Amino acid sequence: MATNFWTSTHYKALLDQEEVDVVHNLDKQRGITLEDFKLIKLHMTNYIARLAQNVKVRQRVVATAVTYMRRVYARRSMTEYDPRLLAPSCLYLASKSEESTVQARLLVFYIKKIYSDEKYRCEIKEILEMEMKILEALNYYLIVFHPYHALPQLVQDAGMSDATQLIWGLVNDTYKMDLILIHPPHLIGLACIYVASVLKEKDNTPWFEDLRADMNTVKNIAMEILDFYDTHKMITDERVNAAMHKLTIRI
Amino acid sequence: MSNRGNNSGSGSNNRPEWLQQYDLIGKIGEGTYGLVFLAKIKSNRSKSIAIKKFKQSKDGDGVSPTAIREIMLLREISHDNVVKLVNVHINHVDMSLYLAFDYAEYDLYEIIRHHRDKVNQSINQYTVKSILWQLLNGLNYLHSNWIMHRDLKPSNILVMGDGEEQGVVKIADFGLARIYQAPLKPLSDNGVVVTIWYRAPELLLGAKHYTSAVDMWAVGCIFAELLTLKPLFQGQEVKATPNPFQLDQLDKIFKVLGHPTVDKWPTLAHLPHWQSDQQHIQGHKYESPGLYSVVHLPPKVPAYDLLCKMLEYDPRKRITAAQALEHEYFRMEPLPGRNALVPPQPGEKIVNYPTRPVDTNTDFEGTASLQPAPQASGNQMSGGMGGTHIMGNRNVPRPVHMVGGMQRIQQQQQQQNMSAYNLASQAAAGMGGGAAINPGNIPMQRGVAAQPHQQQQQQHQLRRKDGMGMSGYPQQKSRRF
Repeated sequence: MATNFWTSTHYKALLDQEEVDVVHNLDKQRGITLEDFKLIKLHMTNYIARLAQNVKVRQRVVATAVTYMRRVYARRSMTEYDPRLLAPSCLYLASKSEESTVQARLLVFYIKKIYSDEKYRCEIKEILEMEMKILEALNYYLIVFHPYHALPQLVQDAGMSDATQLIWGLVNDTYKMDLILIHPPHLIGLACIYVASVLKEKDNTPWFEDLRADMNTVKNIAMEILDFYDTHKMITDERVNAAMHKLTIRI
Repeated sequence: MSNRGNNSGSGSNNRPEWLQQYDLIGKIGEGTYGLVFLAKIKSNRSKSIAIKKFKQSKDGDGVSPTAIREIMLLREISHDNVVKLVNVHINHVDMSLYLAFDYAEYDLYEIIRHHRDKVNQSINQYTVKSILWQLLNGLNYLHSNWIMHRDLKPSNILVMGDGEEQGVVKIADFGLARIYQAPLKPLSDNGVVVTIWYRAPELLLGAKHYTSAVDMWAVGCIFAELLTLKPLFQGQEVKATPNPFQLDQLDKIFKVLGHPTVDKWPTLAHLPHWQSDQQHIQGHKYESPGLYSVVHLPPKVPAYDLLCKMLEYDPRKRITAAQALEHEYFRMEPLPGRNALVPPQPGEKIVNYPTRPVDTNTDFEGTASLQPAPQASGNQMSGGMGGTHIMGNRNVPRPVHMVGGMQRIQQQQQQQNMSAYNLASQAAAGMGGGAAINPGNIPMQRGVAAQPHQQQQQQHQLRRKDGMGMSGYPQQKSRRF
């Protein structure tokens, strides 16, 4: 069902962390490590967000595009699906499924503007071809649920309205990880409220207990988010470039 | 398939591999987005499917948003009264996309037309009630999942033919459907929706936000049409973009239902076209003859009560699908059943409805049919139709519904010949060569009468003479010719 998460294809297709953290054989042959794999997906997440800002689409479109990108790489290799083309193509497809269609030529224009590196350049035709390959790789399952929808109500209920900005930013950052492939979105949203409570030193324990949500999972997600922020500081452009370079060399 | 002898491009050897699991029977529809084919599954010959082919648009827009919407929703939903998407395929070579559906033999447009024009007798009460109940049942499922159909009309309501699901109603064509729980943009940004005859008054008055109640208005119109065999509100559509004010359609509604008032419909005052008092819709006084006299129902029967509740002006007061299913009408004899086509009482006559025509000259590329069969072209002219030999030599299924039902009728003809009504300028423009052949848009006969005799015989078994119709597929307009 389209808007009942528990009966949706999104819920049915949730993966375990171990299933997500698999580097495709073709990529392994190029020396791509799990670290590289995550780094490239992070880099592409940022790329999609930047591109989206330029073509002016909402955050939900970005979130859906990133989810498509991560879903594709849970099944297909970066060798066959060049991230530099896949990322804008995911944004292109997501703009349609989220009813905010962006023209491919506009994407091509802004890609040129953002990146001087020619390896990012692509033609309209390539985006259109990749759009179809994405549809296929996604097995035509296009519905994505996000934490955003339920968030305002939860934030208000938790008495965290003054931290709305912070929480919203945390949720956006969760797309830099694979959480959306693994956990129900409302638990991701709750984890962000949990992290914000910790950062703001607000004791929300009774509220969380009343929710009867799976608090173990919420806390685990929260830990992952905090871990991510710790390691995120150590990511440099050089490391990203080195990982990306492995994809370009001929073998 | 003897007709396919001259069909040069349809050899199965150059078809994509996945297509070889099907036996292509022929074309059953055609539209802006592509073609619809009838095929049988080789491994199970009793099962028919409709394959909708979306062509890549030339403007570099990739997969059409219509196809994306349809795939996205139909991959998620599953209900007895909603058409089933059985497969999606992509052909990377020509960048086309194929959606395979369970095939439904009939649609309400054809069923209604058959009763009106052929058997000249109303649809029996059991069938009307069963169709309506199943339609509401499917719609209730969609609405409870926050999906609005937005384009309900008789040609989008299919009925299954022979087989396990005989007489089961299927809501089809989700090209305009969308989820309305959390739209990123006002729904009105999506362009005008709903064929004008079935369009709810709030839409006609320019509402920016609307609800699933628009589908219920359409169901009310369809209910009335099932009872009387005539569209309830046949307004003349104003063609302009974007979102033209449809005065005539409102006029048709007001004449039957009376003038809406702010008393009964408080938010009426906020609707753009009401506010701007376009062409004095507020001042015009209508003498309402009463809906009951139009639908020939005594005002006190449950059927009439239900119809009135579906045609309530205020969308917030309009009956919902869930409420309608609970209505008294469905709890009295005859009770609605799963097989809408066969009344449970023995001895009652079963109406044989025409099935959709199939054009067996067209292959999956839709190209082979452009070759006129040479033996037929002479006869074309003898039909006095002044040319159109390219299309006249075979039976082309009618392309269905663009925006108004009137166009639909008109299109049937324009495939064969030229427009008799000359309403849809875009359809005529779409014909290209046809317009030049008949510059004066001279009204012409249509259908079988215009067919060369020999062609009739050739295709007789494949297509009932009275069945020009097909159904259920998306906004279509003729393009190829």
